[in-house]
Amino acid sequence: MTKTLCILPCNGLDKSLGVIARQVALNVIEKSPNINLICPVLLNTGDKEYEDILKESTIIVIDGCMTRCATKLIDKRNLQINKKFFIPDMSKKFKIKPGKELILNEDGFRLADQIALDILDFINESKDKKPIEQREIGEIDYFKAVVDKFHFHVPKMGYYFNENDCWIKPEGNRALMGISDFLQKQAGDIIMVELPEMGLEVEQFDDFGNFESTKTVLQLISPGSGKICAINKELENAPELVNQDCYGKGWFVEIELKDFDADKELLMDGPAYFPYMQKKIEQERLKREKKGV
Amino acid sequence: MSESYDANSETFMGVPRTEIPWWPTIDYSKCNFCMECDKFCPHGVYERRENEEKQLIIKNPYNCVVFCRACAKTCPVDALSFPDKREIIALIKNIRDQSESK
Repeated sequence: MTKTLCILPCNGLDKSLGVIARQVALNVIEKSPNINLICPVLLNTGDKEYEDILKESTIIVIDGCMTRCATKLIDKRNLQINKKFFIPDMSKKFKIKPGKELILNEDGFRLADQIALDILDFINESKDKKPIEQREIGEIDYFKAVVDKFHFHVPKMGYYFNENDCWIKPEGNRALMGISDFLQKQAGDIIMVELPEMGLEVEQFDDFGNFESTKTVLQLISPGSGKICAINKELENAPELVNQDCYGKGWFVEIELKDFDADKELLMDGPAYFPYMQKKIEQERLKREKKGV
Repeated sequence: MSESYDANSETFMGVPRTEIPWWPTIDYSKCNFCMECDKFCPHGVYERRENEEKQLIIKNPYNCVVFCRACAKTCPVDALSFPDKREIIALIKNIRDQSESK
């Protein structure tokens, strides 16, 4: 049985980004009237009908700003969000800067149209149920450090790191990217990942997504430059893979490299990152000591 | 006894952190002191000053993670800005080249 589909925009009326979120949802509904439009204001009153529909549905949320009201409304109900759309990321993707006016201008409407098409694509793609692409990583030889009861791993070869603790593993003109064991342990249990859109061009040290753990939200800072050509969709259903296998099944994205030789100048290889990570572990320990934790 | 922690002794990409001007700037003409950025930032970059006109300041700029702009995304009124990433990369490269040629 196919689940019903719900779309929940944040509707933030006091910010243009919220107004765009609303417009996007209206555009989607216009093109695809079978989707249930959820009004966040009514939902917030605890409307019984909404609560029942949401429990049985695939949920798409559209947030205008980092207050992420739409996401919070769903999180509060302990329901799972199948896809989040975040207007600032979309604005970057489509290179359209909407104005700040609460009455949308031409760019605001144009952005809302583009995002709606993106959402409709996502919905159609989900219907096709494309198999999840996995990447074969094979055996990895590690440097290992044991601190207190924690074991930290750094691959000896093939992986390069930036000082924001993200890795890149080039192979030909493509490369996988993810986060290091240090960052994964530092974050704690990862409960949600937000991956970038396919086709997005990232420069080295741009952010290429976020992830949320039980402790915090962290930004992924790209070790390489290029175009996103694959995303690890499995993480949307199983974000814990990042904790379990951060150098393998927990990869985040794949990019088509632009100029890895240039990227490499500002990266560390495994043998260089390993002592750097050990120093960071020690600094974290000192920070905790200072705080008296 | 172990050495005590000192954020100012940190380096980033081999360059003393204190030589890298990366931290958020608050546009006080926009900021409404909602404190979302401070609530978000786990590194203690901001500090609240309840009884002052500027109720939020950048207290520990060098605690800011170079290239992280996550707090700016929390800002509902777009009052936070960061330096140009490319300029910072060029600066880091420059300082590294200089210290290598010494």
